[in-house]
Order: sequence, then C-alpha cells, then structure tokens
Amino acid sequence: MEMSGTGKQGDYAFGLMYSYAHRFWNVNGDSVSKTEIQNGDDVHLMATVWDPETMTVLPETGLSVEIYRDDSLVSQEAIYPMLSQPMGFHYGANFGLDGDGEYTVRLSVGALPTRRSGAFQGRFSEPTTVEIPFEYSQQAKEEIMVKQMEDESGTPGAVDPMKMEMMPSSTAPAEDDLPGRVIGSGMSNDAKFVVTVLDTPPAGIDGDGQYVAVSARSRYNRMILPAMGLEGTLSRGGETVYEGEFVRTLDPDLNYHYGAVVTGVEPGDKLLLQTTVQPQTARHEGYETAFGGLMGGMEDVTITAE
Amino acid sequence: MDPLDDNLPRRQVLKAAVAAGGVSALSACLDMASSEPVPTGDPNAKPSRQHAWREYIRHDEHGNSQLPKHQILLYIIFDEDGQPSADTRLILEQALTGLDRAYEWSHKGLLHSIAYSPSYFERFDQSLPENVDLPRPTALSPFESPTFDTQDAVIHLASDRADVVLEAEQALRGEQDQVNGVSVEARLTDVATIDSRRTGFVGAGLPAQHQDAAGIPDSNPVPEASPLFMGFEAGFKGNQATEDYVTIQNGPFAGATTKVIANLRQRLDDWYDEQSFEERVTEMFSPGHADKGLVKGVGSNLGSDSGIDQFIGDIESDAKAHNRVGHAQKAARANRDADGNVKLLRRHFESTDDIGSDQKVASLHFPSLQRRITDFEDVRRAMNGTDLTKVTPAIRQRVNNGILEYIFVRRRGNFLVPPRRHREVPTPQPES
Ligand code: HEM
Ligand SMILES: [Cu+2]
Repeated sequence: MEMSGTGKQGDYAFGLMYSYAHRFWNVNGDSVSKTEIQNGDDVHLMATVWDPETMTVLPETGLSVEIYRDDSLVSQEAIYPMLSQPMGFHYGANFGLDGDGEYTVRLSVGALPTRRSGAFQGRFSEPTTVEIPFEYSQQAKEEIMVKQMEDESGTPGAVDPMKMEMMPSSTAPAEDDLPGRVIGSGMSNDAKFVVTVLDTPPAGIDGDGQYVAVSARSRYNRMILPAMGLEGTLSRGGETVYEGEFVRTLDPDLNYHYGAVVTGVEPGDKLLLQTTVQPQTARHEGYETAFGGLMGGMEDVTITAE
Repeated sequence: MDPLDDNLPRRQVLKAAVAAGGVSALSACLDMASSEPVPTGDPNAKPSRQHAWREYIRHDEHGNSQLPKHQILLYIIFDEDGQPSADTRLILEQALTGLDRAYEWSHKGLLHSIAYSPSYFERFDQSLPENVDLPRPTALSPFESPTFDTQDAVIHLASDRADVVLEAEQALRGEQDQVNGVSVEARLTDVATIDSRRTGFVGAGLPAQHQDAAGIPDSNPVPEASPLFMGFEAGFKGNQATEDYVTIQNGPFAGATTKVIANLRQRLDDWYDEQSFEERVTEMFSPGHADKGLVKGVGSNLGSDSGIDQFIGDIESDAKAHNRVGHAQKAARANRDADGNVKLLRRHFESTDDIGSDQKVASLHFPSLQRRITDFEDVRRAMNGTDLTKVTPAIRQRVNNGILEYIFVRRRGNFLVPPRRHREVPTPQPES
C-alpha cells in the first residue's frame, strides 16, 4: 500500500492510499457476498478520515470519491467502510483508471450519523470535501504487490498493522488507557469486547446512573470494530437490572464504543452482550470469517463484573 | 403518432442536437425531423397557469402523464441591476408571446414557462406575500454540498419534438427571424444573459439510446422500455400531486406554484452490475415490492399507483429484516398531507449534461412542483432516511438506503412559477 497524500478541511483530516485491486466481502446484515476484482479494476483506493485535534479515526460516516483526470470525470462512487489486517478500519473500493499519470481525487465526507459525546458533541456535523492529487503508475503498483507478498509470507495470526506516519491508526485504547473501571472482557469470533464503567455518563448522553461502555476491537491488532448492532442484559442474582441497546457512540476518551446508561454495576453482576448485527463493514481477505463475516453472526459474550 | 419513435438513429441525432444547440444543430435536426407540421398557437387560448401540462400532454393506458420527450432549461440573469424596467418587461412579453403564437400549447407544440428565484425578488424592497413560501435553496441532506442556482429566472421549454425546443430557444436568442412560420419580434437576450443551458430527454427508448454516457456500465443495462436510466417508470398518477393541489390558491399569486430544480449525477455501475433485479426493486420501491413480486420489468404493471402506501408503516421492520429500505417508501412518508393527498408533482427528466464540462455524464434534472418549497424540503429530508441509520447499522448514510448510493446532487435552485398573467418580471406584490 502506498500513501498518496493527505488533506484537511473543517473538522476533518483525510488520508488517501492505494494498492493493487483487492477482492473483498461485502456485508449487509448477516449476508456476505464476495466482490471479485472486475475487469478494468486498476487500484484499490483507500481513505481514512480522522479528527486532526485528537487523532481519532472517524468510522461510520458516508464517504464518496470522485476521480478526475484533466478536469474530466473518471469515476465517482460512494465507497464502503472496510476492515483489513494491515489497514484496520478504512473506506475503500476498486477503481479503473485511464493509465499512468496525475489524477485529482476529491474525497467527500458526510456529517457523522454516530452519537457523539464529550468534546465531540456538535462536531463532525457538516459535510466537507478535500482534493488530493493522486499519482498513478502501473509499475509502482506492481512493486507494492511484490513487497506485500514478501511481508506476508510466514506471519502467524494477523498481519502486522501498517504504520503510516502521517495518519493515526484505527486502534481502540489499550485496556489500561480506557477511562472508568474495566469490569471484564470477553471474546466473540476474534472480536474482543472490553467493558468499562464510568460513574456518570459522558457529557451529552442523557440519563442518570452509571455508563457502561463496550469497546469492541480485533483480538490481535486492537482495531476498532464499528457499526455493529449490540444489545445487552445486565443482571444481578437473577434479576434484570438493564436490558436494551448499547448505542454506537464516539467519545474523545472512550473512542468508538457501544454505550448504555444503567442504574449501577456491582461486582458479581452478569452482563450478557448479544451482537444483533455484525460489523457492517466489508472484509478484506483474512478477515472474511472474523467478527461474523462468512460465519453468519457472532456468539454471545457473558462477562461477570469484577 | 410520433414518427420519430420508429427510427433509432434519428432519435439519437435529435437528442444530440438538443444537447448541442445552436443553428447548425437545429438545421441538422430539421433535416431529420418529422415533416408533420407543428401546430401554431393562439396567445388567447393558453391556460392561465404556466404549469398546466396534464391536459395537454400524452397519457399512457393507465392515465399516467407522459412527459414531453425533449426539454431545455435556460437559466437567465437580467442585464439591468435593481428593479426591472418597463423596457425589460416589454421585450420579455413580446418574446414569450411570440412563442405562444408560434406553437400550440401541447406536447406536439411547445409547453413553456418562466419561473423566478428568491434572488430575483430581492431586487425589490417589498417582500413576497405570506402565502408564498420561497426560501433560498439550501443543502437538504447531511452529505451534499450542491452549488446553488441563484440566477434570476429559469425558462423551461418542453415538447415531444426536438426541433421545436431548439427552434424556440433560437427565437429567444434572436437567432431566427421566424419560427414555425411566425415572425420573431423580440429577443430575450437583448435584456437578459443566458447563464446556464441544460437539456434533457425522457421516455421509453431515449435513455437506452444514450447509455454510452459516463456513469452507466458498459453492459448496456438500460432497458429499451425504460423512460429513465435507472430502469423503472416513475410518476404514477396515484403518487403524484395534482396540478390543482400544487397551485397557490389565494392572494396576488393565485394560480402560481413553486418549483425546485435539482441536478443529480447518476453513477449506476453498482446499481446494475452488483445488484439483482430484486435488489433494485427493493431499493427503488420497498422490500415488500420485491418479496411480493409486485414489479415486472420497468414497472408498467403497477398501473396507475406504485402501491407504496401499504409499505410505509413497515419501514423500520423492513430495515431490520431486509437490511435495505426503498427510495419510494422513504419519500412517501413525508409526501402525504393529513387527508392522504400527495404533496409533490415530480417532473424529472434525464440528461447527459455534465454542468461545467463537455463530457457526457448521466444525470437527472429534477423539477418538482409543490405549493410550498418547504413541502419539497420535508420530502427530500425523509428520503435521506437518517432516522433509519439509527435503527440498524446495516442502513448506512448512503448504502442500503434507497438509491442514495447512486445519485449525487450537484445543483439546486428554488423558483416561483407565477400564473400567466404575472409571468413578465412580476413585483413581489403584483396587482391582481
Ligand atoms: C435518479 C434519481 C431518481 C429516480 C430514478 C427516481 C425514481 C423514482 C421511482 C421509480 C419512484 C417510484 C414510482 C413513483 O411513485 O414515481 C419514485 C418515487 C418518488 N421519488 Fe424518486 N427518483 C429519483 C430521485 C428522487 C429525488 C431526488 C426525490 C426528491 C424528493 C424523489 C422523490 C420521490 C417521491 C416523493 C416519490 C413518490 C413517493 C410517494 O409515493 O409518495 N426522487 N422515484
Ligand atoms: Cu479496502
């Protein structure tokens, strides 16, 4: 993968990368369909969007791409959120181009539909567009392919995440860095759910009581797993204390997470987490059977509060 | 019968001529066009509403309106600053009356109108009457940043005859001494500048003929029977407001309507190549339409109503069960008044204009008529389905969310279509 450039506009920073065309799996609910490389696909374009102030990656917004060559439109598409081992969360699609040379790529982001808390309240609420020059050569692309294959041979578990100097990676906070009191964690199909409890909900979230935040990340690389439907049941000695949705939320300290306000959490309480909808992100090869994917869904997780 | 229909290459040349414009395009077009005479008109026999089309155009066997095949939009700016002078009024009146005289008010002749923008009315100190709702155009989705059309006015020319819309445009530009045997007495371009010219076409056959435009995959997927690039019929009688309904009833502008015109780029690669017919029906109409097999082919079998009303209540459960929601299903939620009447009268047509470039790119000109601009805004916002993205993460800002993945709004303008009696540079409070 190669970095093409970055841009900044309004509340958003953008990074544009490309690689050779990839096949991937599209996810709609629990149905997963393979998108093969099409005739004429030259590159896999990837974009990341983040908050330049906190360097938090912004998943779940709409992203569209326009590609121009000398003012003439080459392509335009709404591109899909995706998970890959080296890149983590990104937006991407395969595109056909008009040969080697200079292109202009316009990346447009929509207002973030995800609930926001803390200092993120009111931010990321306008659409914006940046223009990033994009230099393409088939030869350079083929070199990426060779390098990639060398890197991948003989790596167990997941491929190491790429480090891109100019942009943040989409990792969730380490357990020790999460605010609040971590009460436990559980694993579901290579997704790790780390649960932390805050004494009060972050600013901007209604309700009285404690705030239970589920930070979902990939098992090996700690990459955020956004766009799931998550329901939870908190019980104490057989009595249900809370039952309901854990709402997709973006917070500067908790990062992307799923949260619910409950009256309180005590040691010994049981929290049952059910993924009603697996992460609605396309999967690159290597992740097609993780976090649901071709497995159809994700197992329930039960955590006993410490 | 329109003899143009039977000849595909000719159809193509005519449409290309409308897009290109100019005298040579017109003569190319006249060579090709039907030799059937075009009926002339009588200025005193025109309907009192400029937006009166329904009684004057073709209908299909179900009573659905068939929009004029060839259309041109001319966005104009008056040359004078401030309030328009008597001179401007006179020239405009002569120019429009010239068209009235040259052509019958019908699809065989010419339907034409002039509509005025909020910026035009800002030339005056007075404000518009209370009952005229004409805000400036604005972004209507959380993911669009259109350029706003704030020219003074837009002239809309529509006919089944390509040569007629072209010739009418030439008359307004003063590039013909006479049109359809009637002499041209005044030219619009003496008092106004044409800032932007947009063209288009609609009706079975034309989109299929123009699917070589960018935005449509190379597989030639647009059915010959489809009036639109996306492969379905639109504008069923039961899903459209009546002209009476969209007409302002009282005050100095009684007989007027408001008009929003958007231009949307269409990107149909994934629409056709990634999706099955059932998935297209799901995203265009509703999951219920696909489940019950209600749509055959381009949807003519729906008759005079898409049947969407029975699926509006299901939208949240559809989102959860099918991971997709339909375009018509979302829009219809806000498109009924308390008595169940439809609020918008959509008259969209296709184009290969790529405003600002010479490239041929599939797009849609979307004029919609409604009593208040706010009605359009409400419906358009309902079509965003932002609420449904909260119901399940499977419905995303643009993906699985009706047809939002495939359409990109580039322009929007808001206009008032005055009644005929006030069509020449009206003040905000004309004397009835
Ligand atoms: C390429 C763009 C579009 C295409 C191909 C398209 C096509 C269609 C089709 C096939 C239907 C169902 C049949 C019918 O009732 O006419 C429909 C319904 C509708 N569409 Fe669109 N549409 C497009 C864009 C828009 C936009 C931008 C709006 C803006 C508000 C809109 C508003 C509506 C409404 C209000 C309905 C009727 C729903 C009801 O029954 O109340 N459409 N459209
Ligand atoms: Cu990707």
